[in-house]
Amino acid sequence: MPGVDARLRREALVDLRRARRRRRTADMDVMEALYRAYVSALVGGAALWWLVGELGGGRLAAAELARVAANGPQVVGAVFALALAIGLRSGGRGGPLVVEAADVRHVLLAPVARGTALRGPALRMLRFGGACGALVGAVASVLAYRRLGGQWPAWAATGAVAGALVVTGALGAAMIASGARLGRVVSGALALACLAWAGTDLATARATSPFSLLGELALWPLHWRPAGLVGGAVALGLAVAGPALVGRTSVEASERRASLAGQLRFAATVRDMRTVVVLRRQLSQDRPRSRPWAGLRAPMARRPGGGGLQGHRPGRPALVQASSQAGAPWRRGWHGYLRFPAVRLGRLVLLGAGAGAAAFGAWRGTTALVFVAGLALYVAGLDVAEPMAQAVDHPTLMEGYPRPRGAVLAGLFWPAAVAMLPVTAAGAVTAAALAGGGAGAVATAAVVWVPASLAGLAGAVVSTVQGPPPLLAESNMLMPPEAVGARVAVRTLWPPLVSTVGVLPVFAARGDRGAAGAAGAGVGVLVLVALVVVWARYHDPIHEALKQALSSPGAGARGAAGSAAGTGRGAGT
Amino acid sequence: MTAPDNAPALRTEGLTKSYGELVALEPLDFEMPAGQCLALVGHNGSGKSTLLKMVAGLLEPSGGTVEVGGEPAGSLWARAQLSYLPDEPVLYDDLSVNEHIEYTCRLHSAEDWEDRAAYLVDCFGLSARADELPARFSRGLRQKTAIVLALVRPLAVLVVDEPFIGLDPPGREAFETLLEETATDGVSIVVATHQLDYAARTDRCVALRDGAVVYDGPPGEVALPSLVG
Repeated sequence: MPGVDARLRREALVDLRRARRRRRTADMDVMEALYRAYVSALVGGAALWWLVGELGGGRLAAAELARVAANGPQVVGAVFALALAIGLRSGGRGGPLVVEAADVRHVLLAPVARGTALRGPALRMLRFGGACGALVGAVASVLAYRRLGGQWPAWAATGAVAGALVVTGALGAAMIASGARLGRVVSGALALACLAWAGTDLATARATSPFSLLGELALWPLHWRPAGLVGGAVALGLAVAGPALVGRTSVEASERRASLAGQLRFAATVRDMRTVVVLRRQLSQDRPRSRPWAGLRAPMARRPGGGGLQGHRPGRPALVQASSQAGAPWRRGWHGYLRFPAVRLGRLVLLGAGAGAAAFGAWRGTTALVFVAGLALYVAGLDVAEPMAQAVDHPTLMEGYPRPRGAVLAGLFWPAAVAMLPVTAAGAVTAAALAGGGAGAVATAAVVWVPASLAGLAGAVVSTVQGPPPLLAESNMLMPPEAVGARVAVRTLWPPLVSTVGVLPVFAARGDRGAAGAAGAGVGVLVLVALVVVWARYHDPIHEALKQALSSPGAGARGAAGSAAGTGRGAGT
Repeated sequence: MTAPDNAPALRTEGLTKSYGELVALEPLDFEMPAGQCLALVGHNGSGKSTLLKMVAGLLEPSGGTVEVGGEPAGSLWARAQLSYLPDEPVLYDDLSVNEHIEYTCRLHSAEDWEDRAAYLVDCFGLSARADELPARFSRGLRQKTAIVLALVRPLAVLVVDEPFIGLDPPGREAFETLLEETATDGVSIVVATHQLDYAARTDRCVALRDGAVVYDGPPGEVALPSLVG
């Protein structure tokens, strides 16, 4: 009785999920959930209040309104195209669903139709994504209403509909790419085609793509065009077709994502940025090249009877050994960069260009964009700081080096600093191009380029060297929870803020001050970067000394007394 | 679902798996008749787990085909026939041993499974802990739970990857006895293992080295340590 079997198995699956949901609900701490909701509402409200103040409340003039009506749909369309491109890329790798590892083994390997097994999670994902999209869309539209006028309920409603359609359309496209097994190349090409189409619409101020048509729907309170329905229908079609195809998703991809996504969530929960970066790379199969783009010349090649590492040759002059040791981190850094895969290089260039565009926006007056630029540089810096992160990831190897850990880390900063320059050069070129490409714009971009580059990296270095916030550290046990929370928040925010400082010279370049103004601020940024390098170099001894001083208040005094007496056992002990 | 007549338990034709430039499994042509007990041996990274995962439908072949009972691996029919026991037990954190057993049996349309389940649980000394969450178990107890789940459902082919890791001597003995009983019931068994004493007691031994078959025949006709060295 195959039909009866299928029905019984479906019922078993439903019962299994219901039982697990019931258990999760029973285990949930209501007060904890309420507290989380309260904190989220508080933070969200504060962010909204700040955003409202930042955007200003003045109504636009008629000419500006006409410009928004003409170009706004294309801008919203570009956002939709970007979401769709991200969805297609995720689908090309087996996303967007993340099935639990146990579900892969016990449900997907059971004789239950995979469509039946995966449709439920797919619909839940669409429902949640749609709700989030609706919320963000409604908030963005109400903010737009303050500048564009009209009826706010109409703006909120169309914004919610457009936001929900953008997110569910992107998720649906991801499920289609995954179910149709488009693969990374085809889905990547489709993603690029979507971006190109939306970009063409943006450049020509015409609405030919479904993305721009959906943008027209989002701006209905400003200008009603029935063509917006076409964009909405396309997004809805994607959202409906996705779950229908999701049953054909690759089990191999599901298993890979299952193991990585769980770890990724945990790493994100404890704000372990390094682990997030590594796992995200594994999830997107972003692996070092097995063959480097180019080879580095062997350090001993020019020496007679060469072979082996420079610093390890017996009988060599101490000065040569010392200089060889100093050069090892430089070579190690470049060995890593020469194995960066093309996709990572492409991502770095895009991040650099994005940072440049955001910095331009900040220079033009949208101050908040400085955080976007800083965040883009920070994320790029996390990639560029990879050799240093590898060193931190393998502490036992570091302990085996005949040099202090800090010296190795500081040595690895310099190849990273050089490697970061082309990344931010993409940003400088983008910013200069957006500013019209005049001599003043080029000079300002050139002046901001190096400080932004180094500070972007410095933020990533801070994050890499300090590691994740010590949520369960011994010192936290004695603090009240609020103080621990604040400490963790500061440690989490500090690295991206260091990266953001690198973009601040754009403010000094506003008005007539130009490149000269930026240069003065740039010097300050360079001082901060130098401090970060010194901190990385002496991080361990500083922490050791602080720990000792805190653990035994008398030790510091005794040590100082010992030093003064010439015993030499003071600060070092 | 209909059973193909006289189909071999497992059959591969030109089966290969590669990850970019790395070839995990060279093209493999292989057939295993129903009811056979086969040991798969080879050093670490020789391709044993890759082969078993493709047979179970967890990995997709880069080339060639793999069939379970005459149907493609991973199809509904193959999933109903084949039970895969991985080297690392994967269990739900929020279901007890008994709940795992219940849902596994229901998902596989097992009938009258309660007695069989009680017998298996008893074999591994899990009776007293059957209502506990395996998430709180040791590695060995989790492995025992995974073995129970692999054997409690109806099956025609059992594919086992490094089953003895983490098992204590009584657990290992119980598992070997269960494997013998399962084979007696006509189930085809494939065991990837480094335990050469177990491999020597099987009907057939297949040795892999760097993704290629280097031996395929009775285990008594070859010095097994030379195959895994």
